[in-house]
Parts: sequence; structure tokens; C-alpha cells
Amino acid sequence: MTASGSEPSQTPLASAAPAPKPAAKPAAKPAAKPLPEPVFNQRAGRLIRDTRYWPTELWKDPWASQSYRRGAAWLAGIILGIFATGWAVGELAPWGDRIYEAIVSFVSARGWPAVVGEAIWIVIKALIVLHVILINGLWAIWWERKISAHIQSRVGPTYAGGFHGWAQTILDGIKLLLKEDVTPTAADKWVHALAPAIVVVPVIIAFAPVSFGVELSAANLDVGVLYIFALAGISVIGIVMAGWASGNKYSLLGGLRASAQLVSYELPRAFSVVPVLMFAGSLNLQIIAQAQSGYWWGVVPRWFLFYPVVGQVAFAIFLIASIAETNRTPFDIPEAESELVSGFHTEYSGMKWSIFFLAEYGYVLLASFLLAAFFLGGGAAPLPWLSAIPSWIWMLSKALFMMFVFLWVRWTFPRFRADQLMDFNWKFLLPWSFANIALAGAYLLWI
Amino acid sequence: MSNDTALAAQEPKTLKTDTLFVNLGPQHPSTHGVLRVGLTIDGEMITKAVPDIGYLHRGTQKLAEVRGYHHCVVLTDRWDYVSAMPNNLVFCLAAEKLMGLKVPPRADALRVVMCELNRLASHLLFFGTYGIDIGAFTPFLYAFREREMILDLFEMVCGARLTYNYIRLGGVMVDVTPEWLAKTKEFLDYFKPRLDEYDTLLSFNPIFMARTQEVGLISAEKAVNWGLSGPNLRGSGVNYDVRKNDPYSGYEHYDFDVPLGKTGSCWDRYYCRVQEMRQSVRILEQALAMLPHGEVSATGVAKVPKPPSGESYAHVEGSRGDLGIFLVSDGQASPYRMHVKAPSFLNLAILQEILVGNKVSDVIAILGSVDIVLGEVDR
Amino acid sequence: MTQDELFNRLSARLPQLERAASPIRDYLTLRLKSTDQILPAAKTLKELGYDYLEMISATDWLGPVNPNGYIRNPNPNVFLPEGATPQNVPGATPGVNYRPVFDMLWLFGNIKERTRVFLRLELPRSNPTTSSLYGLFKSADWQEREIYDLMGVRFEGHPNLTKILTPDFLQGHPLRKDYVHVKDRYDE
Repeated sequence: MTASGSEPSQTPLASAAPAPKPAAKPAAKPAAKPLPEPVFNQRAGRLIRDTRYWPTELWKDPWASQSYRRGAAWLAGIILGIFATGWAVGELAPWGDRIYEAIVSFVSARGWPAVVGEAIWIVIKALIVLHVILINGLWAIWWERKISAHIQSRVGPTYAGGFHGWAQTILDGIKLLLKEDVTPTAADKWVHALAPAIVVVPVIIAFAPVSFGVELSAANLDVGVLYIFALAGISVIGIVMAGWASGNKYSLLGGLRASAQLVSYELPRAFSVVPVLMFAGSLNLQIIAQAQSGYWWGVVPRWFLFYPVVGQVAFAIFLIASIAETNRTPFDIPEAESELVSGFHTEYSGMKWSIFFLAEYGYVLLASFLLAAFFLGGGAAPLPWLSAIPSWIWMLSKALFMMFVFLWVRWTFPRFRADQLMDFNWKFLLPWSFANIALAGAYLLWI
Repeated sequence: MSNDTALAAQEPKTLKTDTLFVNLGPQHPSTHGVLRVGLTIDGEMITKAVPDIGYLHRGTQKLAEVRGYHHCVVLTDRWDYVSAMPNNLVFCLAAEKLMGLKVPPRADALRVVMCELNRLASHLLFFGTYGIDIGAFTPFLYAFREREMILDLFEMVCGARLTYNYIRLGGVMVDVTPEWLAKTKEFLDYFKPRLDEYDTLLSFNPIFMARTQEVGLISAEKAVNWGLSGPNLRGSGVNYDVRKNDPYSGYEHYDFDVPLGKTGSCWDRYYCRVQEMRQSVRILEQALAMLPHGEVSATGVAKVPKPPSGESYAHVEGSRGDLGIFLVSDGQASPYRMHVKAPSFLNLAILQEILVGNKVSDVIAILGSVDIVLGEVDR
Repeated sequence: MTQDELFNRLSARLPQLERAASPIRDYLTLRLKSTDQILPAAKTLKELGYDYLEMISATDWLGPVNPNGYIRNPNPNVFLPEGATPQNVPGATPGVNYRPVFDMLWLFGNIKERTRVFLRLELPRSNPTTSSLYGLFKSADWQEREIYDLMGVRFEGHPNLTKILTPDFLQGHPLRKDYVHVKDRYDE
């Protein structure tokens, strides 16, 4: 078939006297490379053993492989190194106090009003919290890719940066920055552009009272819990706006689902924390964490998670509702890839799209810190003899562990259907959170 | 009911609602190819569904009329490209009937081995993609890990990973080697425990069961009337398997069961396939244990076969159902007419009825559970 | 059950059917005499347990296909020199009864008894019209649409007899033996 098209230049001659064979080929080419010998069922097994390994060969004895042993050593070294660094640095709160004193003395030495010093200190704290969220975005995406890969018997990114593909997210971020920002013709331009901002701003603001350790938070609010829940509820408006403004039917469906889901799951999420607030007697995250310090019988930490029945129920409901609030599997119906083709962010590209993801991972981090503060004792060490390691290391470890739980759940479970999701919320989670409040009241009354 | 209609009559005064037309496909992650379904939805409820096919129509039935019989085997690979061995087989069976060729026993056994391995590969693909349709991503990679091993086996035996062209007129392309047989046994030993793992991971997951058990119900009468076949028909409880019903290639010598569903829900269709994988492993173990010795191809297969004029029909239990070929010869080197009775084509037609009244999420669950391959639908 | 036993059982209920002169290999093939017999025959077959309409097909018996109308290079053998006589261009075989008819074929299966029977019916090319089985078997829906699309046989009583596989702009019915491709926007 290809022969007919290869020699069009000859047509006038050829039509007069059709050549019997395509004899007028150019002179013999300079010694064409000989084709490799066809490997064709001659040596069975060759195709596999050269490049590919079956799990039957690979999993026979993983410890026999040197890279496996080296990886395990690296992991242990990293964990021990982090703890050693924490032990060397000590608590972070005194460092903050020293910086604050330096700023105040600097300002008073210049004779400026004291409010300037306060303003500078607030800007510094805000920038630190903002960078926690931004770096969390980089870290969490890489971590999610690695965790999901290993859950799925893959390896995930390996090339970028050299060490386990650590630079993958950074390069992806550069790519997203350079990408064309497409706004569909059917979109409502202003709302389309505004939606990512409305999604991401509340999560940044909501981090203000989050405690990163003992006495370590940007703002020590007495209504911290209420403040966080109030602000986190705003993001749903941005998601609905994104779904509506995209001018895409799938996005619209995603936005509609998101509004129903997020508003509904606010309720059990807030009510599940009420027992914790009742035990702690405060809405301040620092005081809630302090209320969990100490140990029963010198071993079992007095975390709310270990309060019989009431603690576990509250923890489970809060965890489930938090997963639903962050739109992650099994509650990812607003952005169900296989049904709605990513739902509300189908029509976003470039940085606008990545801002949605920044917000999602910000919420995951927020939920992880809240879980650690509410149920896992905040910065308290899990065992008495580990209290030499400072509180911020413990807080970070607990939050990262909860983040791992988020990833673990996401890559294990299938997705609910929209109506089943609502049933689960209104008929199961919400009644049980009410029952849990009553149980907590009974504990406080009689025990 | 009358209360509802009275309410509906009042509705326009208070709130005007309208239906929404949604194009599911041709580019959509869950249509498994280029299928377009025109959905009319009311909120999240489907009121009308119109499957639109033909995006992958390549006219193989016409192409066969100007190609020799050996060339037609190559065409068959392209219908159901995730399980091409039964396609090869059914064409060869029909053509051998026309030519009166007798296939040697070792070739028959090898055909059974290859078809069952390919059924495993195809059902594994279904298992993985169905998980993705429901939202579970991880089973997909597990299924592909195992499917990769089967494709490696195929690559070892015939050099191709997807379009094999291994089953030829009068037998098979080449004999398998002892190394290949050892490798296949190693795979089967590895694969059997994996099936239990799949059950814990996906089959009996409460969320998965809630998503699929009461959805897409097809009664036995409806399934037969719509001409479904394969696991879709057996999921409704109809005991119809060509391997038992009209045995070919010596399937009557193997001891295996036909798994049946009860209600015809998506989960039943799904679990029929998972059970079929167990049965395929059983068949494979028997076939490998009693693989006869001898030639793998009949003698006297012409280079340009010209079978005497006549008509033949052959059908096999392909991975997706009853795959049939109607072949007419007028004594020339090409088939005079080839008609493909494609199972996916008929399985897809029932969608227009069972999708109505379901939610948008259920569309994906039902579409996935029917397990179509668009290459076979459009041919 | 042998073909003769099956035929005797069926002809007790369906006396209008006769054994076809050219049967499908290994299967019982019955011939209908006229178009109006297919619907009652299908109904009776359904009552007899043949409720599984497996296949609808049609063959155009006009004569060997002429590939020049639609195929660029009818010779798939790339090793032959250009202009060589194609190996596979079909010619007429002496002794074969080419005639201007469409030979319709229905395949009914009985799942319980594990038997199947073919019905065939010749339709004149001038007016290829027969009754639709959609009312009895829903599986006829798309199969009849396919035969209509590719072969141009009309099925009376089908609720939605439209093209199904070929694109809307394609003219003619490709599986007819005299089909000639009309150039459209996808030809260079």
C-alpha cells in the first residue's frame, strides 16, 4: 500500500510505459544497519527476564534486596533525625517571645508608637502561617503521590530531584504557573476568576487560632473552635460559584452536589466536637490541648480519644465529617472524576486550578491539626518518658499521621452516591453525634 | 399518585423546573471508549437515555469480503481488543467448518488455554475499571499488575500483547515451550490467592455493595428478551454459557461450573465475573495438566484457502458473551459475507431501558457493569 | 436432539416451514415462503421456548463484490509489484446461484433445551421489506437497525428505524454488493 505513494515524481514516464518493477530506486544506500534478529518464541522467558520482573520474583524476599534495606535505613534515619532536631531546638514558643521582645524594644528605641510593633509582629505571624499552608501544598501532593503509589504497588515519582522525586511538586508548580489560563467562552468571567480566591482565602484565615504546639499559635482566640468552623464554611460559596460560572453542565452538577454535601456535613462535624468542648470547658484550642495533658496510671495519656465510648465516637464522626468537608474519597461526589469529570473544577486550568488544590490540602492540614488538638492531646507526648521532645514535634507528628489516615482512606474506599451520602449524614452521623453529646453530659454529671 | 399529579399541576405557579440534556461522552472517562449517551436529566434523575454508537465503526464485515481467510483473522483481533483470542477462535471455527478442517487435539487444548487466559485478562480489566467507575482507584492497579503477567505470557507465546493473531486456521500459530508452561503454572499459583484479596478489597466492601446491589436490576425475562449474553445474562440467573450449551474446542471435557447471579443487579453481574475468574483458573489447571502431545496445526491448510460454497455459523463464549460469526463462502478466496454477532452490541442496547429512573452516579455503575468494548460494538 | 427430530417437532406447530436447500453447517435451517410468515413463525417459536433471538443477518446475493468502488488498494499483499493482479479480488464462481435477492437470516435459541434454529427468507432487491420482530424480541431493536443501516432492508413496524453504525452523511448501504462510495468530506 505504501509503495504507490513513494514515487510520485515518475508519473509522466510511468504512465506511458508502466515499469515492471520500481527499478529506478536511488543508488544503494550506505550499508543499512542490519535489523536485529527477531526474538520470536525461540527462547521462552526472554521477554520477561530482560526488562520486567513478576511479583512472584520480586516479592520472594524483599529484605534480600539491598535497596530495600537501604530504604528502610533511610526511613529510620529521617524519623530519628527529626526527633533529634526537635530535641536540640527545644520549644518554639520562647523563640517567638524573644523575637517579639526584640521588635518591641526596636520600636520603642525609635520612639514609634507601640502599635507599629504589634503590626510588624502580626505580619510576621501571618506570613509564617501562610507559608505553612503553601509548603503543606508542596509536601502533601508529593506525599499523596508517594503514599498512593505504594498503596497501589507502584513507586510514584522517582526522577525529579533525585531522592524519591522530592522536587516533583515544585516542577509541577512551575508548569502550572506557565500554563495558559483558559476561561471558557460560556463562563461568567468575573465569577469564574473570583471563585478560586473565595475558596482559598477562608482556609488561610482559618489557620489563625490553630495551635502548632504549646503556646504556639498565630492568635490565641478564646472562640477559636467557633472561628475555625465559621470560616471553613465560607469556602462552599466559592465551590458553588466555580460550578455555576464555568458554564458546564458537569461543573454545575458538581457545584450543586458540593453545596448540599458541605452544608450538611458541617453539622455533625461541629456537633461531634461538643463533647470535647464540654470536657475541656473552653473553645480555646490551647486550653483544649492543655486539658488533655497528664497520664492515667502513669502510662495511658489522658487524650480525649481514650475517653471510653464518647471519645472514640466523637473522633470517628469528626474524622468522617472532615473527610467529607475536604471533598475526598469516599465523599468526593462534587468532583467525582469518573462521573462528573472533576466536577466544579473541570473548566479551570493553570494556577486557578492549582489554587483549588491548595485549598483542598489546606483543609486537610487544618482538619489534621484539629484532630490532633481535639483528640490526640495536642502537643502532649504519648508516653511520659518522651516528654523531652518538644511539643511542636509531637503536634506535627500527630497531624501528619492524621493526614496519612486521610490519604489511606482516600486510596482504599469507593465513592458514595449522592443520596446515600445524605442518608449517611442525616440518619447516622447526626443522630449519633447528638447521642454522644448526651453521653458526655452523663459522664460529667455522674462521674 | 393522584396526589402527585395534583402537585405537579400546581408546580409551574410556584417554581419552574426544567430538564437538562447532558452528553455523556464521546470523551468521558467512564464510557470505556467512544460511546456517547444522550442523557435527559431532571435534577440527578435520568428521564431519557439514548446510546449513540458508531464512532469506532471500521467496517470489518465489509473488509472481510476482499481479504483472504488468513487475513480475516487479523481483522478479528480488532473487534474486542481486550480479549482477542476468542475473536480469533470464533472466526477460525466458522472457517474450519466451511473447509472441513480437523483440528489436532493439542491445538484445541491450547486454544482453550489461550481463551481462558484471555478471559482472565479481560475480567481483570473489568474488575479494575469497575472499581474506578465506583470511585475505588486502588483495585485498578492490582488488577493491572496481574493482567500484565498474562500479557507477558501472551507476548512470550506469540509476540503480541493485545492483537495476538495466534489462533490460526487449522490450529494455532506455534507450540508453547516447557518454560512457558512453567511460567503459566507459576502465574496461576500466584493468582489464586489474589482473588480472595479482591473480594476483601472490593467485592464485599459495604460502600461498593451499597452502590451496586440495588442498581440496574435486569430480570431474567428482560435479559433474554433483550438478547443479553455472557455474565450479563448469567447475572440475571439465566444458565446460558456457550461452553456448556453448545460446546466447542473440547470444552465438554473440562469440569467447571457456571456462576449465576440472583437478582440481575450490577453487583451480581460484577460478582459473576469474579466467580468466572475462579472457574477459568480451574479450567486452566485442568487443561495444563492434561495437555495432549502432538501437532498444533492441521495438515493441508492452503495458503490461499478457497472453501467450497456453503454457509456456517460458529459461536463461542467470549469474555463478554456469546460471540458468533455467520460466514458465507461462494468458493472464492474471500468470504462472500461475514456477519459478526457481537455480544457487546446487544448488551449495550438494553441501556436505553434500564438507565431511566436512575441517578447520574448510577449511570456509571450500570454502564460499567455491562462491560462493553466499543471496538466490538461498532466492529 | 438431532436436526430431524427437531424439525419434526417444529413442523407439527409450523407446517409452513420447510428445510432450506442450503443449510447452515451443523444447524437446523428452515425456510419461510413469504414475508408475512415471519411474524407468526416467530411468535410460535417464542411460545415453543425459542425466546432468545440471537442474531439477525442478511446476505446480498447479487454477485461478487466490486471493491474498486470503495477501496483504494484492493490488494493487501504489499510484496507484490505495483500493478500486479490482486490476489483477492473476488470473481464469480460458476455454479453458485447469484440472484438479485437479500437472504434474511434469523437465529432463535432455546436456552433450556440447548437447541437453536435458523429461519431464512428471501427478499427481492427491488423491495427489501419485511416485518420487524421488535414487538416480540427487544434484541431485534439494534440488530434490525444495523441490517437497515448496512444492508438497506426495511423492517416494517420498527419504532425507530434509523442509521446506527455509519455516519449520517454516508450515502448508501455499505454491505450491499453494488455499493459505491460517494466522496465525502473525509476523503482527501
